[in-house]
Amino acid sequence: MSIELNPGIPEGPLSQKWDHYKANMKLVNPANKRKYSVIVVGTGLAGASAAASLAELGYQVKSFCTHDSARRAHSIAAQGGINAAKSYPNDGDSVWRLFYDTIKGGDYRAREANVYRLAQNSTSIIDQCVSQGVPFAREYSGELANRSFGGAQVSRTFYARGQTGQQLLLGAYSQLMKEVDKGKVTLFPYREMLDVVMVDGKARGIITRNVTTGEIERHAADAVVLATGGYGRVYFLSTNAMNSNVTAIWRAHRRGALFGNPCYVQIHPTCIPVSGSYQAKLTLMSESLRNDGRVWVPKKKEDCKKDPSTIPDEDRDYYLERKYPSFGNLAPRDIASRAAKEVCDEGRGVGESGLAVYLDFRDAIKRDSEAVIRERYGNLFDMYHEITNENPYRAPMRIYPAVHYTMGGLWVDYSLQTTLPGLFAAGEANFSDHGANRLGASALMQGLSDGYFVLPYTVTNYLGTHAQELLKKVDVSHAAFDSAENEVRAEIDRMLENGKKGKRTVTEIYRDLGKVVWEKIGMARSEQGLKEALAEIEKLQKDFDTDLLLTGDSKLNKNLEMAGRLRDLLELGALMARDALERKESCGGHFRVESQTPDGEAQRDDENFAHVAAWEYKGKGQVPARHQEKLVYENVKLSVRSYK
Amino acid sequence: MVPLSRLFSSTLGRKYLMGASGMALVLFLVVHLLGNLTLYAGSGEAMNTYAARLHALGPALVALEVGLALTILLHIVTAFQVTYSAKAARPVDYENAKTKGGPSKSTTGSRNMIWTGVVLGVFLIVHVAQFRFGPTMEDGYTASVSGVMVHDIYRVVVEAFTQLKWVAFYVASMLFLGFHLRHGYWSAFQSLGIINPRWSKPIYAMGMAIALLLAFGFLFIPIYIYATQSGGGNA
Amino acid sequence: MMSTSKSKTIHIRLRVWRQESRDAQGFFEEHELKNVLVDMSFLEMLDVLNEQIIKSGKRPLEYESDCREGICGTCSLMVQGQAHGPIRGATTCQLYMRSFVDGETITIEPWRAKAFPVVRDLVTDRRAFDRIQMAGGYTGAKTGPHADANAILIPKDLADRAMDAAACIGCGACVAACPNASASLFTSAKVTQLALLPQGQADRKRRVIRMVDQMDKEGFGSCSNLQECEAACPKKISIQNIAILKQEYLKAALAADFRAGMGSADGGA
Repeated sequence: MSIELNPGIPEGPLSQKWDHYKANMKLVNPANKRKYSVIVVGTGLAGASAAASLAELGYQVKSFCTHDSARRAHSIAAQGGINAAKSYPNDGDSVWRLFYDTIKGGDYRAREANVYRLAQNSTSIIDQCVSQGVPFAREYSGELANRSFGGAQVSRTFYARGQTGQQLLLGAYSQLMKEVDKGKVTLFPYREMLDVVMVDGKARGIITRNVTTGEIERHAADAVVLATGGYGRVYFLSTNAMNSNVTAIWRAHRRGALFGNPCYVQIHPTCIPVSGSYQAKLTLMSESLRNDGRVWVPKKKEDCKKDPSTIPDEDRDYYLERKYPSFGNLAPRDIASRAAKEVCDEGRGVGESGLAVYLDFRDAIKRDSEAVIRERYGNLFDMYHEITNENPYRAPMRIYPAVHYTMGGLWVDYSLQTTLPGLFAAGEANFSDHGANRLGASALMQGLSDGYFVLPYTVTNYLGTHAQELLKKVDVSHAAFDSAENEVRAEIDRMLENGKKGKRTVTEIYRDLGKVVWEKIGMARSEQGLKEALAEIEKLQKDFDTDLLLTGDSKLNKNLEMAGRLRDLLELGALMARDALERKESCGGHFRVESQTPDGEAQRDDENFAHVAAWEYKGKGQVPARHQEKLVYENVKLSVRSYK
Repeated sequence: MVPLSRLFSSTLGRKYLMGASGMALVLFLVVHLLGNLTLYAGSGEAMNTYAARLHALGPALVALEVGLALTILLHIVTAFQVTYSAKAARPVDYENAKTKGGPSKSTTGSRNMIWTGVVLGVFLIVHVAQFRFGPTMEDGYTASVSGVMVHDIYRVVVEAFTQLKWVAFYVASMLFLGFHLRHGYWSAFQSLGIINPRWSKPIYAMGMAIALLLAFGFLFIPIYIYATQSGGGNA
Repeated sequence: MMSTSKSKTIHIRLRVWRQESRDAQGFFEEHELKNVLVDMSFLEMLDVLNEQIIKSGKRPLEYESDCREGICGTCSLMVQGQAHGPIRGATTCQLYMRSFVDGETITIEPWRAKAFPVVRDLVTDRRAFDRIQMAGGYTGAKTGPHADANAILIPKDLADRAMDAAACIGCGACVAACPNASASLFTSAKVTQLALLPQGQADRKRRVIRMVDQMDKEGFGSCSNLQECEAACPKKISIQNIAILKQEYLKAALAADFRAGMGSADGGA
């Protein structure tokens, strides 16, 4: 049985679709607005901005986060910037160009209408943030400064030093706190969401656990928004924060929300390599380093352990410059990441682990002087030094790719509603705008567009459309809450009970999962590898069910939280393998070794795969069902990306 | 409107009072030291003349004295409030907290303003009892200045400072004053917010100069008197 | 996973604070860790310790961390009597074991302040900061159409200065390090950022009054100008901001035209 996936794209030409939506949406009159309550889970850019904006409209908003404070969400760690088609530098940018770049960057696997709306909203985001007092970088003229990013041909990136994510999040957080003060938003910190409660086919609440007290709580509302971020932590090692997890959207998936394109993952080429088995987190280094650094590995395996300064130029393989002469060291993220993996797989990786390549500034320092390089990259060099205790002015840096963003997520229609009515997903938690690959400085843009400028309209439209039904309030004593709570309790009790007998810690199983997913559903995926991954994950799932070692109680216990998350990540890992297996083409971050051009480049298959894969959960251990949403391109022509 | 009572009972308000009273007291100390420089004249005449002129102010002097006493009282009360709030704000202390250096002005002196203050308070009581409410003209402490009989305050001073124990007490107390001012002077500016990045360092440096000047300015007086007068007795 | 033969290792003793719950009596628990790689981060060392504790069947040690890049402000440990440990301008997650010597005994305590009650072990509840923020740490701008972002020019030095203050990560090291457990640096950073920018002018007075009131209600101590907060701040935020807070508060409190409804939740305009 196939589910009808209707993206609900409004009529009219591309540039008028959003206006058309707004002109025809259902409204809720001001007096009625206070009768509705909306739950927003997550307080990152998407969650905080959505909660604040919905509260300003007059709805009663309940905002949940797993941290002590809304300000700790992982959006805070974004460094580079936020794109907007303001065209201040007068360099030919426009809404259309931002739209086009995003569609193309996503390797033609995103929905045109959503991406166009994103580009349209981008300019309002900057105005909004400035009005909040976000201290964007400025020119001496007092005007906002822009820089270029990720190979874009225009300068459309706004930034606040290297802390753009922090400043944007604090802006959204401050607006949220304003509404908390007014009593329009109630904050529920220290909560992890463990289930969505469906009543008569509509999302009417959630079950949460207070991580400090262990209490399981019920919260009812008229609509639920999930803005809980991506699932990069399935790799165990990633640039995501320790608390980033898939649990909220996975529990929604288990309740029936379809999961879109789980195999689309972005791997960033310039991270500090893994230095030991004890590590739990990787650190990203700005991509800008590749403007001056040259990437190389030794030509001969036996040179790999040598002091790099003793290896003469003729024995070095500047492989990016060799393979992609026109882009060289500035090849796009996915290409550069894959090339690094290839040379390491050949046994030419460097460092103690053999899983690193050199990023060498020797020539740049010789050309421009150390002072110039320090001026450009001083803080990054310091950061590298601090972590590795090596001086990158003297010896080349060692870098390796790492996971840092997931394009997949809950399938949503144009209104950001999942396949569960009344359940919305925003930001990285949904699959919507980036296709198979995300451009730099676009994640912040999407999170804020969803929260400030999309959900306030679409949630209102939902409430207005279903007013008759929703005005009959559902109480937390409803049977649906009983059963959802019981399931959640049972699962936690089972973990704690089983945990007394097992031998393998959460971290051990988690690390093994990460290793499988990284090696087999990472930068290069093969049919055989993906099948192996499925088998290995199944084994790990068994380990988790029968041999988990869990100590402590059900009050504040990070290890228990991690166990619950791992349980979901194990299922997600299997789904990623299936999705990657079924998508027998290469596109964006998804590279199938069977689908490449003779010279080793990604080969898309538009005829068979120009669609979104949306997966339906069929129960634990059951094979999920794959559904499709065909992607229709009426405004752009599908073409091949080449970087030779 | 913020009622003034609330303004001054806030943690910031207390610091305004602390800083303002501290500044007034520094000003007083400067004037006091200038007056006391008359003691270096060698004979009592300069000092006694100065004292007589002060007393000639009559009610104005009383008003100044009362004002001074209230300022000191305010400084003390606020100090205890600040200290109490600090203790209340951290009911369980660290086992062994250490300063992180760098820009920190946390020193034994700056962390113990309340104790240097307590010492100065004790000193103040003794000092006032000894000189302000010490032997009077009725007790025979008279001297003639330009033919007029005045209170021989100079003799009171000399009698005290020819005794080693008083010299030691005053010198020690003035060292505490130095430590108190070293942090207090700059701190007053910071507390009142009348400081900016350009002036912060100079003011902090000036705090050192003021501390040294006032502490040593005062403490040399007993030493000087002891050195010059104790041999010759107090005839 | 891989050989680490080249890396140096050290043996350390740990004294970690254990406290079952907010009102329970806490105590120091001793542990020994052998062969700690000096290239490990401090938190990774604690991860290793926790694996050891879990394998011995005991309740794991609770400590917070999230981004492990020094920006989220979640990690919060008093290491050897210093907030975030001995390195200036760094958070606990940016501290590496190479800062310690072989055989060293390392004492780890939670942030200690009445306003930051212990939740468990090394985890404290820092929501007092949220409540200060709630009292006025915003411009009041609503979602919706605004003037073009370049409509109001802001001199670069002012924007940079606002950014310096805005860099605060809300970790609470200022409170933890302050001998008086004062939250002046945190509060002043937000007040200063918004006082400097044109967008923060409309509710400038109400903001500072309410934020200071809330700061006091939470039970933080007075500022004694020791500048220890600045020394401990991972973002090196200057106490110049506290001086500005003092100016702002005094001006706002004395201003005769200040009529915003301070007590009411939605006072002001």
